[in-house]
Amino acid sequence: MTAPPAKPRNPGPGWGYGFLLWADRWWPRWLFQLVMSAGTWIALGRMPRQRRASREYLSVVLDRNPRVIEVYRHFSAFMDFLMVKLRTGSGAPIHCDLEPTHADEFNALVGSGKPALFGTFHFGSSDLLGYLLSDRDQRVSILRLQVENSEDTRLLGERFGDKVSYLWVNDPREMLFALKGAIEAGRSVALKCDRVDHSARTEAFNFLNARRLFPFTIYHLAILFQRPVVYCIAIPTSDPGRIQVYSSSVFHPDSNQPREQILEAAREHFQSVLTLLESLVRNHPYLWFNYIPLNPVAKAD
Amino acid sequence: MSDPLLLRLKTLIVATLKLDDVRPEDIPDDEPLIGSPRFGLDSIDALELVLALEKEFGIKIGNSEESRNALASVQTIAAYIRSRPGSKA
Repeated sequence: MTAPPAKPRNPGPGWGYGFLLWADRWWPRWLFQLVMSAGTWIALGRMPRQRRASREYLSVVLDRNPRVIEVYRHFSAFMDFLMVKLRTGSGAPIHCDLEPTHADEFNALVGSGKPALFGTFHFGSSDLLGYLLSDRDQRVSILRLQVENSEDTRLLGERFGDKVSYLWVNDPREMLFALKGAIEAGRSVALKCDRVDHSARTEAFNFLNARRLFPFTIYHLAILFQRPVVYCIAIPTSDPGRIQVYSSSVFHPDSNQPREQILEAAREHFQSVLTLLESLVRNHPYLWFNYIPLNPVAKAD
Repeated sequence: MSDPLLLRLKTLIVATLKLDDVRPEDIPDDEPLIGSPRFGLDSIDALELVLALEKEFGIKIGNSEESRNALASVQTIAAYIRSRPGSKA
C-alpha cells in the first residue's frame, strides 16, 4: 500500500495568516503596507523557483526581460489578493459585477440551480468565484489541493460552508472519482483549468504566442455526465468590495452528435475562453497567479 | 469453455471506448487494461468504463482504489462484478 502524498505547505510560518488579519485590522494603513511590502521583498529573495517562473512568464507577456520591480509587483499582486481572500473569509462583503457579454446565458444557467461545471484559472480574483456561486442557489464542490497552512481556504470554507464543500485532491489518481462523486450527488463543480500537472488529459491551444498545453478534462466530464461547462474569470476593481466578472458562453455537450464532433465544439469553446483570458492577462499581467513554469509549448504534430 | 461474462465485458469495453481496431476476442483475459501500451487507456477511459459497467451491471464502484483493482484486467472485472450482490451479471 502506498502512503498518501505529503501535504504541501504555503510559504511562511503557520501563524502568518492570523498575524496578517490582526495587523490589517489594528495597524495604521501606512504601517501595514510597509510590512506587506517588506514581506513581499523577503518572499522574492527566498523563493528562487517562483522568482524564476515569474521572470519567465513576465518576459513572455511583456515581450522583454522584466525589471526586478516588475517581478516584485507580480509577487505583490498575489499578496494583495491573499488579503482580499482573508478579509472575505472573515466576513467582509464582496460583490460581483458581471460583464454584459454572455451575462444573460450565465445568469440563466446559474439561476436555474441546475448543476454545471465551472472552470476558472489562477488569475485575478477568480479564486473567489466558486464561493460566490453559493449566493446564486448553486451547491458547489471546489476542487482543491490541500495545503497545510491555508487559513484563507479555511476561513472561506467556514463562511460559505452551507453550500460550498471542498474536494480535497492531493493524489491525482483520486481526482476523477472525487469529481464523479460530486457530480453524481447533483452538485456543481468548480475547478481551475490552467495547471497541467494534475490533469488527466491535456490539449494544445493558442495562448501567449504559442500552442500551449492546457487541461481539457472538464469537457470530457461534461460529455460523460451531460453537464454544461462555463468559465468565469474575475479581476479586482479599485473598490476592494467589488470584483469584475467575465463569463464565457455556456458549452452544452450535445449527446446526439458523434463524440469527435462534440470534442471539436469543446475545443472551439475553450479556445475562445483562452482568447478572453489572454486579453485580460495582457491588460493585467501581474494578476497571473501561477508561479510555476508557463504552460508547456506543445510539440509540433 | 469460454465464459460468457468475459465476452460480454470485452464487447462492452470495445463499444464504450470505441476501440475500432480491436475485436472483443483480441483482448486477453488477464492483460492489464489501463496504462497498457497496447490499448493506450488512460484515467478518463477508466472513468468512462466504470460508468458503463455501473449502468450495464447495476453496480456501484465507490472509489479509485476499488476501480484500479477491479479494472486490472477483464478477469478482475468479471470477478468484481460476480462479487457484488445484486449485480446483473
